[in-house]
Amino acid sequence: MRNLFVFIRKNYFILLFLVLEALSLGLFFNFNEFQNTAVYDITSTFTGGINRTFRNISEYLTLKSTNQTLVEELAKLHSQLPKAYYSSDAHSFYRNDTIYQLQYRYISAKVISNTTNRRNNFLMISKGSLQGVRNHMGVIIGNRIVGQVVSVSPHFSWIISMLNKDSKVSGKFKKNNQLVNVEWSGGSYRYGSIREIPKHVDMKKGDTIITSGNSDIFPEGVLVGTISEFTVAPDENFNYGTILFSTDFNSLGYVEIVLDLMRKEKEDLKATFKSE
Amino acid sequence: MTTSRVIVNNFLRFFVLIALQVLVLNNIYLGGFINPYLYIYFILLIPYEVPGALLLILAFITGAGVDIFTNTLGLHSSACLAMGYARPHIIRMISSGPDSLIGDSPSLKNQGLKWFLYYSLSLILIHHFVLFFLEAFRFTEFFTTFLRVVMSSVFTLLLVLICEYLFYPKEK
Repeated sequence: MRNLFVFIRKNYFILLFLVLEALSLGLFFNFNEFQNTAVYDITSTFTGGINRTFRNISEYLTLKSTNQTLVEELAKLHSQLPKAYYSSDAHSFYRNDTIYQLQYRYISAKVISNTTNRRNNFLMISKGSLQGVRNHMGVIIGNRIVGQVVSVSPHFSWIISMLNKDSKVSGKFKKNNQLVNVEWSGGSYRYGSIREIPKHVDMKKGDTIITSGNSDIFPEGVLVGTISEFTVAPDENFNYGTILFSTDFNSLGYVEIVLDLMRKEKEDLKATFKSE
Repeated sequence: MTTSRVIVNNFLRFFVLIALQVLVLNNIYLGGFINPYLYIYFILLIPYEVPGALLLILAFITGAGVDIFTNTLGLHSSACLAMGYARPHIIRMISSGPDSLIGDSPSLKNQGLKWFLYYSLSLILIHHFVLFFLEAFRFTEFFTTFLRVVMSSVFTLLLVLICEYLFYPKEK
């Protein structure tokens, strides 16, 4: 026993280091996979306030570009009015129609914090479960892709941006509906990578990739980006390429959350099949 | 300098650097992904006299302070701990003896440019290496991540040197 104490006394520096490092790594691996809500709730009450104040100040600096986006958005929406497509704030406006039944509702939200320079980027927005935001909802801006909700508190939501190693979006070529996967492999926030492009697809620079609508998260046809580079790999089964994101992730002021009103029906349908 | 003065100075430096990091520097990046982490300047400047255990605990708290704001629990604290652990070893390696250390804490003014460059660059590299590789956590992007480590380290070192020249100028 005495030897043990002597040992600890002699090597306390490395022992304390190992204990603290184990603690940190434990925290890192347990809480960072999808930003566990428990810890997030505790810290966000404190840091959310500070971040929001800072954001309020910096918002003035970007007012001009935010206005620009809003004006463009308005013009687009005016031309789409018959589709009863858009909702501002937590209230939504839509027509009841027996032929066209409303499937998507959109909640607009302010971006409180956002990063583009890390390997794994997240956004925090100012709407939460009180406004109807739920986990795994898609997030877009205009008709361009942003990310997916991964954690919700009453007033805020935490969004995993496309710029994350865990983000993978099912996309397709607009011109011929060929499915591809879009990811982000780090580096510049303007460019993503597409994998698993079938060999027979004839690509050109500038081809548009849109969401496929296969995943229940995004509606079909949301812009992902355009092909900026591609490689034909002769000895592999698939080609791959680089995509220029349509979204400028660095200038997000407001985003829209997509509520799929028929999602439950789709999920129930899948569940009934599984249970049989 | 009296002990209480040193404590107050370090305390203030801690808060100023963390605020600067989370509010300003985290929004800065060159070329899309080069990010300076100046907050570790605090760990670089901890006085020599601070015992090992306290050094590690301070490093841990510094990292955790940044982690709370960036929602990356454990990431920065791991990197800072590695740095805190390496610090006494690095100091021992590059100094000729305990008598060659002048003043309370490491500084460019007292130790000279060469010593300070060795000291800060090696610790910054250790910190950034752990940080970026933990964050990416895959070896398929080894070279991209490595490039980030090197570029960001240079950027951080530059800021550290600027701070040294600004706040601790050489007396003529």
